[in-house]
Amino acid sequence: MFLKTANPTMHSAAWRISLWATLAFACGTMLVFVFLHSFVANDIQRRSDAWLSGEVEVLGDVAERTPKDALYGRVVGEVAELAGKEVPNKLLSESSPNDSVFFLQTGDDGSMKLWVGAGDGKPNLKAIQAIRIVPDHPTDLRVEGFGVPFRVASIRIDDGTYIYLGLSERDELRVLRSLRLRFFLIWLLLVLFGFGIVFYTTRRMLSHVRGITEAASKIGHSDLNARVPTTERSDEVGHLARTLNRMLDRIESSIHQLHTITDSLAHDLRSPLTAIRGKLEMSLSVVTQGEQAEPIVAAIEELDRLTEFLNQSLDVAESKADALRLTRSEVDLDELLRIMIDLYEPSMSEKGLHIQLQSKGPVHIEADAALIHRMIANVFDNELKHLPPDCTVTMQLKVEGESVSLVCEDDGPGFSNEVMPHLFERRVKGRESNGHGLGLAFIDAVARAHGGAVSASNRESGGARIEVTLPLAVNGHKASSTTMLHGVS
Amino acid sequence: MRLLLVEDEIDIQHFLRSSLEEAGYQVEAAADGKTAERLAIDGQFDILIVDLGLPDQDGISLILKLRQLGVRAPVLILSARRSVDDRVRGLEQGGDDYLTKPFALAELLARLRNLLRRNSPPGTEATRLRVLDLELDLLRREATRSGQVLQLTPQEFVLLEYLCRNAGRVVTRSMILDKVWGMRIQPDTNVVDVHIYRLRGKVDGSGQQPLIRTLRGVGYVLKDR
Repeated sequence: MFLKTANPTMHSAAWRISLWATLAFACGTMLVFVFLHSFVANDIQRRSDAWLSGEVEVLGDVAERTPKDALYGRVVGEVAELAGKEVPNKLLSESSPNDSVFFLQTGDDGSMKLWVGAGDGKPNLKAIQAIRIVPDHPTDLRVEGFGVPFRVASIRIDDGTYIYLGLSERDELRVLRSLRLRFFLIWLLLVLFGFGIVFYTTRRMLSHVRGITEAASKIGHSDLNARVPTTERSDEVGHLARTLNRMLDRIESSIHQLHTITDSLAHDLRSPLTAIRGKLEMSLSVVTQGEQAEPIVAAIEELDRLTEFLNQSLDVAESKADALRLTRSEVDLDELLRIMIDLYEPSMSEKGLHIQLQSKGPVHIEADAALIHRMIANVFDNELKHLPPDCTVTMQLKVEGESVSLVCEDDGPGFSNEVMPHLFERRVKGRESNGHGLGLAFIDAVARAHGGAVSASNRESGGARIEVTLPLAVNGHKASSTTMLHGVS
Repeated sequence: MRLLLVEDEIDIQHFLRSSLEEAGYQVEAAADGKTAERLAIDGQFDILIVDLGLPDQDGISLILKLRQLGVRAPVLILSARRSVDDRVRGLEQGGDDYLTKPFALAELLARLRNLLRRNSPPGTEATRLRVLDLELDLLRREATRSGQVLQLTPQEFVLLEYLCRNAGRVVTRSMILDKVWGMRIQPDTNVVDVHIYRLRGKVDGSGQQPLIRTLRGVGYVLKDR
């Protein structure tokens, strides 16, 4: 009845609702019909049984009273034939009543005495002898050579003979069949029509919900200025849209607040950092060489580390609140990894580490290039800092469906059990680590901001495994840069 | 070279002024937008440095106003803002380059030089670079030192070319990462140092006068005298 293609319609709630509603309606009407059908069938049977009982009694009466002479057969036969013409439920088109009614009289020895009806009556006699027919109780009788059973009533008359009157159930069955056929056609029409109406209305209603969902999902990924479409109607869907918009208002103001705080924090810390760095650089130009320069150089390096830490902390904080601001452009991860490996390979081989890349060619994502660069540099920095010599780092780029996974595996000691449950928390680092403990939290932050995820685990064969999953670029869709500019400088 | 410095933080203004003067610029400084406007109209400047956070107005609107007043000199924007969106906006609206605080002086000077070069009429692009006895053939991607061909990887050649183009001037690690690898990252490992170390092994090997000098805490410089 329905196409079995993978149609998006068939996964919609409207489709499912209409399917279930129609199923319930179909089952319900079918149940009512079954009840009606059995009622009608019983009634038809009751009427034909009444007719049979009456006729067989009349025939018995006639047979009893008619003298047993040469004319007996003809008189009884005539009466029987006459009775056959008044069959109930008979269809008008019926030409010969003979094959729908039979009359049989048997002697007390069971031999055939008189037969009126189609054929010679032998199969009928045989069938009657095969089952016991109780007088006054019409019974079903299957006769060889006839497709439909007969309903047979019998009576015993005083001279010890039996009279059987059989009525074919053919007409009765035909009435019921035509009833079923008509019902089925009407039922089918009703079900299809009902399905159509339910599907149309639920689809219309749910299309508003879909509109809201689409708008809401876009808001999550690009900007918070957008609002879901609202309708004038005051039904549930309209309420949903308005509630969502009120919620978005609140979220936007909180995010705005967060940006204001992080921006002013960044600003308040950066200005003094700039002044300090400048002064240090100037004093370095005066004291160019020797032991005096050493603490100044160390201070400048510390300052740069502090700045990077500040940047990453704020990024992680914003991303925890899903408020990291992205400027998206197309990034080829394959190319980026090759450049990164080119950049890190000398440092790694200096430490006795090997690095290899497994990639099947360009993989494009829509991402904030600066953040992705820093994220991947973080992965490499982690390996470089924590792996003992003679280990191998394998970077793998795998496209799976609509996302790409970047897997970084090594055969080093792996993550220790104590840090394992807290890998993505801020300030968590191994005992021997000299980093500031933001590495994985930052990787997680960037992946989440791009709608991806990070998982870290220890490989069964030993070594650590970090997997970053990011959504692939949608073809033909170029995400524009965000327009959220709240901030102080 | 006349330079207008618009920066409200007195500390930063002071050290910038003295470093810039040391680098040969004639510096006029302003601490707010009003003063900056007045100075910009009165004097002819070759280049401007504008901080985005000024007490009386936004740096961006100041740049827009100056452009309307007919100031054509290139502008280097300084900002403590974090997000990259601001960088884009700044560049679209008349700023010519952008530097985030805190920055290395070497980087500021390099960017100023770039802006001034961009602003002057383009000369013919050289196909050969020469620094002392080091010579780079940019077409054949070949480097020679005292006539000896250096066996460089393509990446090492790009790195050496960048150092040669800035010969005699300090380049920082982040400038190298940006210009040679195209990345604005701050690795907390010594990746750039190892590249320089390898390059130095090839360029300054076998008892020759060392050309690539490390200025600890600042960056590197390729000696040109």
